[in-house]
Amino acid sequence: MSISTGPIASRQQPSVFSSASSVLSSAARRNLRQVLLAIVLPVTVIALWQWAGNGGSLFGGVLPTPDRVWHAWKVWAFGSAGLGLNPYSGTWLANLLFSAERVGKGFLVAILVAVPVGVAIGWNRIASGTLDPTVQLLRPIPITAWLPFSIAVFGIRDMGAVFLIALGAFYPIVVNTAQGARDIERNLVRAAMMMGAGRWTILRRVVLPASLPAIFTGLRIGLGIAWTAVIVAEMIAVKSGLGYVLWDAYYVGRMDVVIADMATIGLLGLISDRVILLIERWVLAWRRLQSFHS
Amino acid sequence: MTMGTITFENVSKTFSGQSEVRALEGIDLAIGEGEFVALLGPSGCGKSTLLNLLAGFERATEGSLLFDGKTVTRPGPDRGVVFQEAALFPWLNVWQNVIFGPQVQGVARVDYESKARNLLKIVGLESFSDALPVQLSGGMRQRVGIARVLAMSPKALLMDEPFGALDAQTRLSMQQLLLDVWQSLGTTVLFVTHDIDEAILLSDRICVMSARPGRIIRTIPITLPRPRSIASLTSTEFVAYKARIMSDMKVGAAHA
Ligand SMILES: Nc1ncnc2c1ncn2[C@@H]1O[C@H](COP(=O)(O)OP(=O)(O)OP(=O)(O)O)[C@@H](O)[C@H]1O
Ligand SMILES: [Mg+2]
Repeated sequence: MSISTGPIASRQQPSVFSSASSVLSSAARRNLRQVLLAIVLPVTVIALWQWAGNGGSLFGGVLPTPDRVWHAWKVWAFGSAGLGLNPYSGTWLANLLFSAERVGKGFLVAILVAVPVGVAIGWNRIASGTLDPTVQLLRPIPITAWLPFSIAVFGIRDMGAVFLIALGAFYPIVVNTAQGARDIERNLVRAAMMMGAGRWTILRRVVLPASLPAIFTGLRIGLGIAWTAVIVAEMIAVKSGLGYVLWDAYYVGRMDVVIADMATIGLLGLISDRVILLIERWVLAWRRLQSFHS
Repeated sequence: MTMGTITFENVSKTFSGQSEVRALEGIDLAIGEGEFVALLGPSGCGKSTLLNLLAGFERATEGSLLFDGKTVTRPGPDRGVVFQEAALFPWLNVWQNVIFGPQVQGVARVDYESKARNLLKIVGLESFSDALPVQLSGGMRQRVGIARVLAMSPKALLMDEPFGALDAQTRLSMQQLLLDVWQSLGTTVLFVTHDIDEAILLSDRICVMSARPGRIIRTIPITLPRPRSIASLTSTEFVAYKARIMSDMKVGAAHA
């Protein structure tokens, strides 16, 4: 067998590496292999990119090579601020935190609104009739189209960015939550009613937990949109954060900072997604046991 | 004080939809306190519908349906339902599933804890209280389903083919368990099945139903001595009942 993608294949053939590294436990070996597989592609691309560049750049000086990006990032991250020539020096962490804080706030607002609204839409016919058409009507409007509205209402301030993030993350969470609440197994609700649970108890102790798998799907999509929204908002509606630096660096021709910024956004998105996954694994332990891959 | 009496008076049920389905017609059925009645009939004849009406999950189209003299309007813990697929909450462990009823009814912990523990022992799952439903076999899940219902001390048990999905051997041990539990509690039971052996073994009376529209076409009292056990399955009286019911059901099929 030469095809070894996915957890099943890897579980079925432990023999490939076993002789070479019998010191490691099989679980550690599996993890190591996962990591190796994961970095093959990015490492190859970066190496090719470095190799293709000459004199530190590609495409006639437009695109800097990875080593220059790396250097720019080091200055951006650790350089001492206020050396005049480089306005980005030493501001990486501060800008990262600005963006992360906005995403955190907006995402939290989105969860707090979207989960109850979604459960209501999925569970209650009247709520669904009143809320769902409006949600569906507003949903096709991209957050970029909300930018002028947001600036007009909130000005060039944090609130505007948080608003856009919350709005962007709201839709996938609400739609998935509603779907989860709608798809609840009839007999689970009947069982709860039979045991004397009232409407609120059923919502809280049956509908909500039963919808959690769908809610987490919505959270992961919503978080991705939240990162998109924060960058868009910062490029235009506020004067700090990774999005602001991205656009500003582009204007002054610092493509090395642009790319370091993009990489930072990607890493943050990845890490925050992993965090949600970890929470999901913990909250939905019961579900993992049902799955084929457990 | 009457406990768990059931009265169907000329009850009919029509499902409206794209095409109307007359699921039940003219059901008259009176079940006394502590009686064990089996509903026997072919698939689609309306057994579940009848049970769901009594459980309060569905409403009758015509007729009246009384539980302890009061019209059934909604589900309640006085009528404990055991579902075919157990319908346990997959996110709660065995213990949490069993105490769900008393808990949501606001019973104090001290008042249900020892009882629930005892019930788990009776159904043989004391060592599984921390297990999640997915970690249990079908028979074990069904035992949890029975324990959680008994934890509410219902006046009647409504069981919809509770052992229908189990293998023959597990089914026998579940039937024995139910016989033992029922013999010690004396709760009224309405038990849906399409298994003739099961109906005879468990019940005081079998109501045989015909399909479309669902009617009760025969009522057969089973006077096998109590307490019964799965050993009764081979007695000559048992076999005689079985022969009679099988011919009855053929008659029903010919009429339909
Ligand atoms: N919600 C519903 N809407 C429309 N028709 C229904 C509904 N529930 C049941 N029926 C119809 O009513 C009839 C009786 O169904 P029911 O589930 O009571 O049968 P059953 O005797 O329990 O069958 P089985 O032994 O297969 O469980 C069937 O013809 C079924 O199609
Ligand atoms: Mg049925």
